[in-house]
Amino acid sequence: MVAETLTRIAEFTIDGITQGLVLALLGLGITIVFGLGGVLNLSIGVFAFLGVIVALELLGITGNLLVSAVLAVAIVTLFGLVVDKSLLSLVYRSEGEERILLGIFVTLGLAIFLDGLLFISYPSSYSLSFGIPSTTIAGVQIRGSSIGIILISTVILTALYLFFSRTYLGGATRTVMQDETGAVLCGISPRKMRTFVFALSVAIAAIAGILYSTTQSVYAATGFELTILALIVSIVGGVTSIVGAVVAGLALGIIATFTSAYVGAYVAEIALFAVAVIALLLQPEEIA
Amino acid sequence: MSTQQSSFEIAGLNWTQIRIPLVLVLLAAIPPLVFHEGATYVSRLFIMALIFATLAMALNIVFGHTDQLFLFMGALTGIGAYTTAITAESLGISPWATLLLGALLAGAIGALVCFVSAKLRFTVILISILTLALQFAIVEFFVGASDLTGGSTGMVFSGLAFESIQESLGIHEHVILYYLVLAILGATIVFYDWMRRSKFGIAFDAIRQDEVAAESVGVNVVRYKTVAGFVSAFIIGLIGPMYAQLEGLIIPGMFQFQVIDVLVLIILIVGGMRTLLGPIVGAGIIIYINEELQAAGQWRMVLFGALLIVLFLYFRQGIVPFARDLLHERIKITERLAREEQT
Repeated sequence: MVAETLTRIAEFTIDGITQGLVLALLGLGITIVFGLGGVLNLSIGVFAFLGVIVALELLGITGNLLVSAVLAVAIVTLFGLVVDKSLLSLVYRSEGEERILLGIFVTLGLAIFLDGLLFISYPSSYSLSFGIPSTTIAGVQIRGSSIGIILISTVILTALYLFFSRTYLGGATRTVMQDETGAVLCGISPRKMRTFVFALSVAIAAIAGILYSTTQSVYAATGFELTILALIVSIVGGVTSIVGAVVAGLALGIIATFTSAYVGAYVAEIALFAVAVIALLLQPEEIA
Repeated sequence: MSTQQSSFEIAGLNWTQIRIPLVLVLLAAIPPLVFHEGATYVSRLFIMALIFATLAMALNIVFGHTDQLFLFMGALTGIGAYTTAITAESLGISPWATLLLGALLAGAIGALVCFVSAKLRFTVILISILTLALQFAIVEFFVGASDLTGGSTGMVFSGLAFESIQESLGIHEHVILYYLVLAILGATIVFYDWMRRSKFGIAFDAIRQDEVAAESVGVNVVRYKTVAGFVSAFIIGLIGPMYAQLEGLIIPGMFQFQVIDVLVLIILIVGGMRTLLGPIVGAGIIIYINEELQAAGQWRMVLFGALLIVLFLYFRQGIVPFARDLLHERIKITERLAREEQT
């Protein structure tokens, strides 16, 4: 009896970590762009869904998931670059509070626009599969998708951590996040850094979307739901903290899985929003 | 500049003084002129425009004047509708009796959100995130608490009709509903006009321009923001049951962010923030475009997304202020020409 309960708890924990890592990636995508450019990217979830769609289309051509996924991320990132050079350039022309509002509305408009466009061409639900079989370790069953997600997102998060802490470009990014004027004085161009970071966040979103689609099927409306989840993770993590976003993602993933298993699916969703609201109430001075 | 009033005269009458009665009379003349027997399609459209004009008016107060961006108007509309319907049904009384209950609950939630945000000195971005999270949580609750709300299949709602008047006068229920919504809109306009010219207007302007400075000269920022939140949410909650009456049912899908909030935001921006007539003009135009776009079917959302982007980047000013400036310029030119002729 006890062993059975422990096994179930272990399985839920693994599911929670799996979900949490995807959330962490999405939250990170919001966090780095907001921290650096003051733009809250409400279209991040649509980029994630776009990643899934492009990967699926490419899978039909290449027949290899890894190749398709890498190509899809590259294509979506390119698209992100176009958005940065066009729409976001217009947003960055304004300053302060006005830029923040403009950022919200322009990315919201973009999300609705892309959502509508994707819904027309891809109205049903879609999923991808790593093709990794489930394994059982000490009686604990682990899904193939969980193994894939944990491996891939750990590699990506580690790479990002090393990038931000060890490389010159990563250091420059953090400098702009902390002190824009200081960064300019050091010869760093904030606009170039913003373009770079926006592209990076779109790439992360596309990866997160593809990973997410291996655990459950996604459809056009999923895009907006993912944006909201990403926002929550970002808020709980403190909005400008990279480590905070990762910790918050993991914590929320585990909370959501356990609430869903023991109380009910819709309560789990509301629990997530409740955590976000509490986080907002507890630590507002750290955010914007 | 925000309370700048247009002071020109039309046929010897001061425009500022006559515009509210004029607009209300014009709106009141619509049903006898436009509503035809059997053409519920057209009447439905006009009622929809009035509903969204009222919602935009509410957003104008809380967002336009106190910079608190409510992104949970859909949820508040739903709270108004569900509360009215559920309490009426469980108590076995008419929804007329519980109408204010829904509005009061929505108002209380709006006040609470604004009170907490103002106390904690939330920026506009934080309050928008907070309300967006609430929007999704509340709609999720509408779907999930199916014992109470009927879940995604929803509930039938038609309790706000006056069958006796309908039958004795032989008019369509849409005519009554139209005047009902017009009464709420009219009250909102009159209230808004009064509020803007009272001490609230001055306090709102002070808060919007510099919160710290406003506080230092004795403006109770938290109280004014909370009042604005209550008033707006109350109006939204009151409109909720009317919207449900028009649709004949209450389902969570009606109150989604994409259905209500996006449209109201566009209406307010198109019409012009912080103007009296902006929400009405905006609602007329956008509800019309929205209906025309039904023909475009699935392309509707695509076009709306594009519209939102373009409007915000290039037309944040709005139609009403734009027209006002244009008119003022013409009047100035005419005056100058007249003066030059004299000399």
